[in-house]
Amino acid sequence: MIDIGVIPNVPPAIIYIIGAALLPLLGKGKVRSIYLIALAVLGLIGVAVLTPQTSWVFPVLQGLDLTFLQVDSLSLIMGYIFAIIGAAAIIYSLDIVKENGELVCGLLYLGSAMGAVFAGDFFTLYIFWEIMAFSSLGLIWYSRTERATNAGMRYILFHLLGGCALLGGIIIHYMNTGSIAVGPVESGIGYFLLLAGIGVNTAFISLHSWLPDSYPKATLAGAVFMCVFTTKTGVYVLARTYPGVEAVAYMGGVMCLYGVAFALMQNDVRKLLSYHIVSQVGYMVAGIGIGTYIGINGGIAHVFNHILYKALLFMCMGAVIYSTGRHNLTELGGLAKKMPITMVTCMIAAFSISGVPGFNGYVSKGMVVHAAELEGMHILTIILIIGSVGTFLSFLKLTYFTFFKKNDEIEAKEAPLPMLIAMSAVAFLCVAIGVYPKMLYEILPYPAVALHYHAYGLAHTISTLELLIMTAVGFVVLLAVFSPHERITYDIDLLYRKAGRRFIWLCEQPLVTVAEGLDHGLQKAADSVVWFSRNPTTASKILAAKVAVAMAGSTVMRTLNPGYIQYEQDLAKLKQMHMEEPVPKVAIGTGVLLALLLFTLYLVVYLTHGVLWV
Amino acid sequence: MEKKAWKGILLLIAFIVVVLSAGSLFVGHSETFAGFLYGAGGVALFMLFAKLMTLIQREGKQDD
Repeated sequence: MIDIGVIPNVPPAIIYIIGAALLPLLGKGKVRSIYLIALAVLGLIGVAVLTPQTSWVFPVLQGLDLTFLQVDSLSLIMGYIFAIIGAAAIIYSLDIVKENGELVCGLLYLGSAMGAVFAGDFFTLYIFWEIMAFSSLGLIWYSRTERATNAGMRYILFHLLGGCALLGGIIIHYMNTGSIAVGPVESGIGYFLLLAGIGVNTAFISLHSWLPDSYPKATLAGAVFMCVFTTKTGVYVLARTYPGVEAVAYMGGVMCLYGVAFALMQNDVRKLLSYHIVSQVGYMVAGIGIGTYIGINGGIAHVFNHILYKALLFMCMGAVIYSTGRHNLTELGGLAKKMPITMVTCMIAAFSISGVPGFNGYVSKGMVVHAAELEGMHILTIILIIGSVGTFLSFLKLTYFTFFKKNDEIEAKEAPLPMLIAMSAVAFLCVAIGVYPKMLYEILPYPAVALHYHAYGLAHTISTLELLIMTAVGFVVLLAVFSPHERITYDIDLLYRKAGRRFIWLCEQPLVTVAEGLDHGLQKAADSVVWFSRNPTTASKILAAKVAVAMAGSTVMRTLNPGYIQYEQDLAKLKQMHMEEPVPKVAIGTGVLLALLLFTLYLVVYLTHGVLWV
Repeated sequence: MEKKAWKGILLLIAFIVVVLSAGSLFVGHSETFAGFLYGAGGVALFMLFAKLMTLIQREGKQDD
């Protein structure tokens, strides 16, 4: 038997980043597939062998240590789920990703997300945070469409702003405390900057618009990677830095309702799923904000479960788009018989996200709601329950209009085998955790507390079933209201885009005019200096004469005596002519001597009286 | 009696048994049917929201 204790604790980020670097050497054939599968397995082993309470610390400066690996129960559960879904996403990509560059981006993204969750200090976290932003940008741009390019630009702008806020917060936190260890932050400007930086990645409402804008435009495999890492890393850092902040809990509630309300209005299947990320992340944020053991357990359990079913949903919709070339609900339908495995796995994911008993989402969602109830946060509890109704409505809509609505025109065949393997494996995990939640409880940050939670208490299960039955009845009765339409729904990004256009107008019109005016004025001043320096003696005389004329000759005098006007004209002519006059010049040595004399004189005055102008 | 009729009766009995047992389970363990209330309230809220959202929508393909 292999003793895993002898295998060293290597940061899993290294495995994936080196793996990404070597990938372009392998071409595009079977060797690449075997290499990718081996890398996925190696990544899983790399995380599985990590020993809790170990670390990799590098002293950089005195009192400043960078911690590349900090293993505890919280980072470990994130590592497990990232490795599991990373492996599934790699297998899913095998047949459909043709360009190595896209896979390199995916692996770098996975590696940097691993680096971020195992980082023990803020600076290491920040470095991986930024690598995540740029590598995920590649997954959007590899779509190679104009829409994707534009969405990618907006995506990276948002993340660069978030990164700046995060870095500012980290620096202020370091200056205040002298510590860069990832942990709770003291209040002040740094507190809010750090929260804003994390809020961008976690898709706090008003900072969320990059998410539904960019994810639907990513490549099919890219979207599977993207739906996992950015927001969940944000939630993880939030759990480290802002646990038990009530405002954060209520932000979670707002995200939950806002996301689901917008998801219901969508026609593009991946846009619908993207809005649901906002909503589901709301449950996690609420759990973290509640901050009790059960709340944090619930939030992190929901991270784990959400990654499974959300990745599965993106895989299923990717398979649908791959087979049909269509991505709008109004164009889909009738796929249940043509893509049965995709349909079954999608139904499992839909039941999981909707919190149907027997599926994983039910366990973790219930835990968060229970935590809110225990803390007496009644409004939050109601919001989270109502959010479940909207979620089930959305997924009834998604599955009905994709698979069950009659559509004889559509042509499709089942997705390729690697996609089906990945989807089936993840679907199995969704059911397994739903049926036997103890295996999840044991790896949560507070396992002893989690083991006391009974997900399948009769009253809780019955009331959940009541809620779901009522929602299904409501959907059938109000099918016309929730039917998809080819409409554009405005979100808050409309304001940003308008503000952006105004800013560009401001730069192109008023600011350019002011710049041109300044340029013109400076050129005139430079011309005057040049004119004056060519013949200072005559120039001084002309200037003095002009001043005298200006002082003596008011408008009234000019009107009475036309001689003034003539005199002014003569002066203007003289101004042009005097350049030609010979100017007395001195040798350069004399000039230097005069300058030295001047400096000496200044030095004498300075030494005797101090600075001349004081 | 025909085989089909027997089958139908058996199915009907099974259906009644399932409905009655589910009903008694719900009545016995439900906390004042809170799930139904939340479900109905939630559907009504999202219906209202969907109607309101049509005010800030415009025709066209969902794009940029």
